[in-house]
Amino acid sequence: MLGKIFGILCILSLAGGIALGNGEALGVAVLDGASSAVSLTISLCGIMSLWCGIMKVMEHAGLIDKLAKLLSPLLKVFFPDAYESGNGIGEISANISANLLGIGNAATPLALKAMEKLQKNNPYPDEASGDMITLAVLNTASLNLIPTTIIALRRAAGSDRPYSVIIPIWIASFSCSLLALILCSVMRHAKRKRQKSYD
Amino acid sequence: MIEYISSLAIPAVICIAGLFMLFGKKPYFESFTEGAKSGLRTAVGILPTLIALVIAINLFNASGIPKLLSDAISPAAEKIGVPAELIPLLITRPISGSASTAAYSSLIEEYGADSFVSLCASVIMGSSDTMLYIISVYFSSVGIKKSRYAIPCAAVVMLFCIFFSCLICRLWFK
Repeated sequence: MLGKIFGILCILSLAGGIALGNGEALGVAVLDGASSAVSLTISLCGIMSLWCGIMKVMEHAGLIDKLAKLLSPLLKVFFPDAYESGNGIGEISANISANLLGIGNAATPLALKAMEKLQKNNPYPDEASGDMITLAVLNTASLNLIPTTIIALRRAAGSDRPYSVIIPIWIASFSCSLLALILCSVMRHAKRKRQKSYD
Repeated sequence: MIEYISSLAIPAVICIAGLFMLFGKKPYFESFTEGAKSGLRTAVGILPTLIALVIAINLFNASGIPKLLSDAISPAAEKIGVPAELIPLLITRPISGSASTAAYSSLIEEYGADSFVSLCASVIMGSSDTMLYIISVYFSSVGIKKSRYAIPCAAVVMLFCIFFSCLICRLWFK
């Protein structure tokens, strides 16, 4: 997938650059791009190490398990099949907790494990079940409390107030997640009515 | 005041980890270094990908196409309150995390980290994720071929996220 993006962007840029008379700028852009990727990585290294370290401490202290317990009433409403059967509910709550705490690296494997368990409840193994879709769509609405990468990049770009975006991000990511949950529940019920044998 | 509190959020979380190290029974400092090592590996591990993508995005920006596109869409985009300069970010965000990070960082370098466009970009980055990537990885991992209503739902959430993030920035950063 990334190869395609790279290819499309390069070809478009060369063709567009020549057509629009920006040919000279292209050569400079390559040189600048290579070095700015390195400085981007350097500005991310520190904060990512710090954060992954802190989160490992929280994980070992059992914080994720506690958060998962707090979330369980919510899961009952939005993941009814998993909640009833008990298959995958633990992984789903761990995935949401990991997202909340900003451990994106841990969230993906947890979600994949949850998918595996949810597949056991799925009467049509070729098609995504309602719970699976809710989990996937919820993950696309990144619910996160501490957007460390964004803050680090803002600081690296010279902001004096890198933290000023935290609360708007909370509001936006909470609203998007809520919309994702509601939209998926509505769709699930609409589809169920039409095809009684579903789910 | 609110900004003061939110700038204390991260130091406070670090302090909690410190409390665990002081009073906890487990070797929490070793947990920290173990986690930090994996963070470092991730950060350095994405460098080759980033080099390719930052170059591609820089080329794309330099070619003048985004400007052409944004001039074309800006009347419509401005009407719903979305700055047209966000286009490179909006194209890459649903597909790839590293490509959108590259687009985001070149955007905030160009327009300044505290400009309105950059603030909108930050909130969009913080409240959305790589939707096509997530759906394809999640579903293919268990052999699902029909994603049913997953992509339409995720697309609606993404569009709402773009619109809503810009709206919040407009109200919040008065």
